[in-house]
Amino acid sequence: MLRILFRRLVQIIPLILGVIIMNFGLIQLAPGSFLDVMTAEQQISDPAMIERMRILYGMDQPAAVQLLKYIWSVVTLDFGYSYRQNAPVLTVIMQHLPATALLMLAAIAVALLVGVVAGVVAAVKVNTIWDNLISLIAVFFFAAPTFWLGIMLTILFSVKLGWLPVGGMRTVGTEFGAIAATFDIARHLLLPAVSLGLFYAATYARVMRASMLEVYKSDFVRTARSKGLPGFQVVVIHVLRNALLPVVTLLGLQLGTVLGGSVVIETVFSWPGIGSLMLDSVMSRNYPVVLGVLVMSSVVVAVANAAVDIAYFKLDPRISAR
Amino acid sequence: MDTISRRDLLAGAAGLALTSAIGGTASGQAARTPKRGGTLVGSWGGFEPQALFVPPGGGSSPNMTSTKVLERLIRLDEDLQFRPVLALSVTPAADFRSYTIKLRPNVKWHDGADFTADDVVFNAMDYWKPISSGGALNALVSAEAVDKETVVLKFNATVPDFFLKSILAGRTVTIPKHIYAGKEMMTNPANNLPIGTGPFKVREWVRGSHVEYVRNENYWDPQLPYVDKLVIRWWRDPASRSAAFEAGQLDFAVFNPIPAPDVKRLVDTRRFTAVTEGYKNTAWALTTYFNTQREIFKRADVRRALLHAVDREFISDTIYFGRAKPATGHIPSSNSLFYFKDLPTYSFDPDKAGKLLDAAGYPIRNGSRFTMNIVSAGWFEENVKAGQYLRQAFEDIGIKVDLAIPDRATSLKRIYTDYEFDMAISNNSGPLELAPQWTQSYTTSGIVKGAAFRNASRYSNPALDKLVDQYLVETDPKKRQALAREFQLILATEAPVTSLVEIVSATVARSDVRVAANYADVLGESWAHIWLDR
Repeated sequence: MLRILFRRLVQIIPLILGVIIMNFGLIQLAPGSFLDVMTAEQQISDPAMIERMRILYGMDQPAAVQLLKYIWSVVTLDFGYSYRQNAPVLTVIMQHLPATALLMLAAIAVALLVGVVAGVVAAVKVNTIWDNLISLIAVFFFAAPTFWLGIMLTILFSVKLGWLPVGGMRTVGTEFGAIAATFDIARHLLLPAVSLGLFYAATYARVMRASMLEVYKSDFVRTARSKGLPGFQVVVIHVLRNALLPVVTLLGLQLGTVLGGSVVIETVFSWPGIGSLMLDSVMSRNYPVVLGVLVMSSVVVAVANAAVDIAYFKLDPRISAR
Repeated sequence: MDTISRRDLLAGAAGLALTSAIGGTASGQAARTPKRGGTLVGSWGGFEPQALFVPPGGGSSPNMTSTKVLERLIRLDEDLQFRPVLALSVTPAADFRSYTIKLRPNVKWHDGADFTADDVVFNAMDYWKPISSGGALNALVSAEAVDKETVVLKFNATVPDFFLKSILAGRTVTIPKHIYAGKEMMTNPANNLPIGTGPFKVREWVRGSHVEYVRNENYWDPQLPYVDKLVIRWWRDPASRSAAFEAGQLDFAVFNPIPAPDVKRLVDTRRFTAVTEGYKNTAWALTTYFNTQREIFKRADVRRALLHAVDREFISDTIYFGRAKPATGHIPSSNSLFYFKDLPTYSFDPDKAGKLLDAAGYPIRNGSRFTMNIVSAGWFEENVKAGQYLRQAFEDIGIKVDLAIPDRATSLKRIYTDYEFDMAISNNSGPLELAPQWTQSYTTSGIVKGAAFRNASRYSNPALDKLVDQYLVETDPKKRQALAREFQLILATEAPVTSLVEIVSATVARSDVRVAANYADVLGESWAHIWLDR
């Protein structure tokens, strides 16, 4: 197991190098440069001033030199400087990362909880009104655009009922103690996590249901039943555990998106996360920040996949035997 | 979809301005004594800035966040009066080649250092002239501190009074010499947490969320600011701003913060007001450029013909939901100094457009007259729709259109660097003073490859250039107006660059928010005069 883990982690290096070179190339190919955007926004027309900024941004050098410099800065764990935010890239990313990680983990937790429970209920009550109802709801949340759902939830819970705040992550302009502050963030987190979580939950529910039904047909389930075990025990211990594999695979894939964030949900709820930072950075061709986020994301994807592999061994000992 | 007409919005806005005090006239508020205290939560119709202060300007968002902290020498009100801020007076010499600035005494920077004439000299020579004024102060030769509170600016040409004061009340905030001198200005850490003389001090900036300011207890005007705390918060989505207003989490938002249909709904509840005052010195337009270096479009008769095919009422009412009005010249009608009603206009008349094109030698052959490509800068949703509309309008008169609506960076490159278009749709904006911001979109000196919002048409007319040059050094206000009329007449006749519609900006506020001033640029003023009637 350790060997596999080691192999997985070594694979990260070429992965990161590939991510850097491909995305750097893509940004260079896209028309318009960081300098164009910055000079336009700052309303600079003096050619001497534009030249001064070109040198300041290091854009007077050939693209290959810029790329090598960037790769070196990643090797030394310094992700470069973002002239747009006027701060080191690492600082910029770290300012947005906690919010994104919190939102995505909360959303995935909601998705997992709701999705697995709904999937199990649907499978147990297969072809009843419950099954159909769950399928219908799952399709609804999967099909409903998350921004629409977000706005509707905001209008209901924040505007009409006044229970929850409209967007943001903290109540602005007030001082809280540690406990009150946690509660405050939780209140702000609820709607975005639910809007995003219900979207993912729909997939989990469908996959869980299918997987449960598959396992139900197995011989060992019939054996368990014929032993006279209570239904609940059969469902939880025999079926659920064996049906979890596809869901874990899905979870692993989604954990990889934790750092990417959700631009849509962050926009609707003004969540100070990395999605909007990425969007702005791509639009302004600010490649140090784009690459910084992507490099970190690829590390998380690799680590998440390694974690999923380990989870497989725990869930199904046959895998490590192979 | 529920739509409101422009007239409704304007009428509603005007009526509300009388009943509530937002942005209203100072006389209307004189009866009420402003209350002190409270937290004001503000926002605007855009995103978070890249830094709280961006030395060369950086656009509306950093302009809004920096001007609460960094002050100018003077400010301009909607009644066209300059009011003292850091300078008590700005006086021209008899020959208009030098100006004497008397500074306000006993002003301190937020870090406790004294604000003196040395700061102003540093700003004038090292910041305003080379960086922030966009070339407007090129004639400035020297700045001298006569004593601690007096500075003399010397120029190598005559400089009109309104012109200079407009610059000093515009993009030239005053930054502390002891923090900026001798360092790279663009990457100074103080850009993220500015230190100024203004009514508010930055307390905390949470990136992606909000910036929090607190009252400057040592402000030179002990009456101001009225609120204890100011929070500028950013919502990336207009519908979320409406929701924030309704949930009581937003008090005051400028520059069209919420979707047009929501304005009427919110104002109808009587808990909110919407006014269009406060934008005289930052007018925006939907602008088209013809590429005058291209075969077909170098001809003024073709350009004029095409303008007759455009229904500006439609653009205003349908694309902007009434938050715009047809423009009748390059300069918006809100400009009470340099707007002229009697310039040539291009009424919507597709038949006439067709006949003019026939006469110009472009009749319909094999189903079309010619093919043109339109590039619409995709940074505003309305530009996207305007591009689609223009394609239809020109196809109606037999022109084939290739429409491209690229993203921000690509638009800038195609329009202002590569000049890769027959017609471009972009947005011009500027203050009351025409030079340099408005004039550089059609003068020969405004053709700067790679510089955005300049003369993308590459239109060059020595007669017009000469008039603009005279306008720049003419000190008699009446003669300046006459010159401005003359070169706008040429511009309107030749039509290389045209404002199709003037964008009407609105401020939305809770009805208990009052402004005890009539700012000519509400986004870029300090907000020290805003108070809460709670």
